[in-house]
Amino acid sequence: MNIVLALGLSFLSGYLIVSAAWPRDNANQPERWMKLFISAGFGIGIFSIAYFVDRWLGIVHILATDLCLVTLLLAVYLLARARRKPSNSIADPVPDLKPPHWLRRLLMASFGISILAALYATVLRALAHPHGDGWDAFAIWNLHARFLFLGGSHWRDGFSTLIPWSHSDYPPLIPAAIAHVWSYIGHDDPIVPAIISLIFTCATLGLLVSAVATLRGITTAAMAGIALASTPFFIEQGSSQYADIPLSFFFLAAAALLHLFQQRSAQVADGSPTGLFVLAGAATGLAAWTKNEGLLFLFAFLASQIASVAWRRHPPASESRLNSGRELVIFLLAIAPFLLLILWFKHFIAPSGDLFSGPEAMLHKILTPARYWAILRWYGKDFLRFGNWVVPTTILFVAIGLLSPSAGIRRQNTALRSSVLTLTMTLCGYFAVYVITPNDLYWHLRFSLNRLFLQVWPTVIFLFFLFVSGQASSESQAEPNSRQNQANL
Amino acid sequence: MKCAILLFTICCLLSTIRILREAPNPVHITRDDVSKKSDERFAAVKTRLPASGVIGYIGESGNSSTPDYYLTQYALAPLVVDRSSHHAIVIGNFPLSRPSDLPPNLRLVEDCGSGVLLFAGEDAK
Repeated sequence: MNIVLALGLSFLSGYLIVSAAWPRDNANQPERWMKLFISAGFGIGIFSIAYFVDRWLGIVHILATDLCLVTLLLAVYLLARARRKPSNSIADPVPDLKPPHWLRRLLMASFGISILAALYATVLRALAHPHGDGWDAFAIWNLHARFLFLGGSHWRDGFSTLIPWSHSDYPPLIPAAIAHVWSYIGHDDPIVPAIISLIFTCATLGLLVSAVATLRGITTAAMAGIALASTPFFIEQGSSQYADIPLSFFFLAAAALLHLFQQRSAQVADGSPTGLFVLAGAATGLAAWTKNEGLLFLFAFLASQIASVAWRRHPPASESRLNSGRELVIFLLAIAPFLLLILWFKHFIAPSGDLFSGPEAMLHKILTPARYWAILRWYGKDFLRFGNWVVPTTILFVAIGLLSPSAGIRRQNTALRSSVLTLTMTLCGYFAVYVITPNDLYWHLRFSLNRLFLQVWPTVIFLFFLFVSGQASSESQAEPNSRQNQANL
Repeated sequence: MKCAILLFTICCLLSTIRILREAPNPVHITRDDVSKKSDERFAAVKTRLPASGVIGYIGESGNSSTPDYYLTQYALAPLVVDRSSHHAIVIGNFPLSRPSDLPPNLRLVEDCGSGVLLFAGEDAK
């Protein structure tokens, strides 16, 4: 019962903050689902930060402070709701794929089967591995959670350099969220990390489907859902109690919110829905609070927003209300609290990371071409096999991408371009870390590259289907027009 | 586009079959309770240890030595377990066989069973 109370308060915190920032209008059904899935992840993020701050300040009355937090968020929500006028925007029809009726029915049946199979396998895996599947669960994430929960005034000991390989410099979103729920039930029950792991797996899948359905339509969303739910490695990691799936959730949330912001900016007559952009910034901040790779993603996202200022000098008519300079300021304000928290954590609590060796050794590695070639080969190999598919979905994506009528990424919207740039920079950042790693390169690639690819995989699926469906739709619109022109001639 | 959607769906469903085939059998789920068993092994010695601080560790060599260490650290948290014998309190973790030769600075205080030994270090840091 206490678990339900803790998770309920966590979800409520997320829902209140997400609803406070979400535009107040007649959202359609997929958009409501999108909001709920984002709330689930954000709630766990807020719960994690709240517990960490409680530990830092030495607060022991956790329930009382949580109730204060929820009351505060409720006040913010009511205030935001009262101040924001309901917009009378008319949603444009979304450019969905339009297969024949029989194919659509087949697609929907396959979607249902793949989702049910994914949930079935994830739950069975969680039951078979109640303490997580693999070392990282007990050597890093759950270990840090135990220190936070059981450590009393010595909770910082969990970030000691005397514990090798426990990545004490990793931010504590997952450990602090687990410890927060443990504080409600009074002991370190292993069911809590398992439940949090399942919540993120389901929320990632749900967010992908609902976001694509909101932006493109249910047929495209079904294809996106099938692509993720039929990725065996996603299902394996979904119950592993590692932090890669939660990280992938926040990457996806940032990209989805950015796209929704752009779509709404083009629809809203009186001002742009800046709350969505604030939430996109918060999603990158929570990614940075989850894992060090999230910090890289945050800076890549920031850099791509700066780059998009240049792209928007001559924006298309649909993006005329976007004010890039203002957006950049909003984004910086949104990430500032998270960056300050992470800076404080890195400076005062965490030891220095284990990825940087001395400058001489690093320079030697940077000047060794064989390392680049080795990493490139592993990137190529894992591109085909990281998902543990029967037929690599990445190959299918390349084939479909080549077959689709190509207007090119340049003609696609700004959000798509900046999201692709963000992911490209993130992957380049991962590449650079492999170049300088002090560990054995092949060992490091073997045990981490597939998980790094998995972190970006839900966002890749999201962007791919937005791109393909946008292309197919512009072709189907162009076709009747050209026929009409020919008839006129 | 019709063919592409059809081919894509079929290929994805093949992977779904793999997911189902590799899922644990719901009738006979074999639970991987390695860390629970480890917690139980160290439950007795935990009562003899301080609530916080740093203790030393010695264990078996070989492939299982690193997982054994992490399981010990996980079981004894919030104590920090340093992989060194130069501490006033040292935990010995020998799940397979008792050690034949121990570091000379260690004195056995108690055999807690299941291969868990409690030592006193005589040249503590």
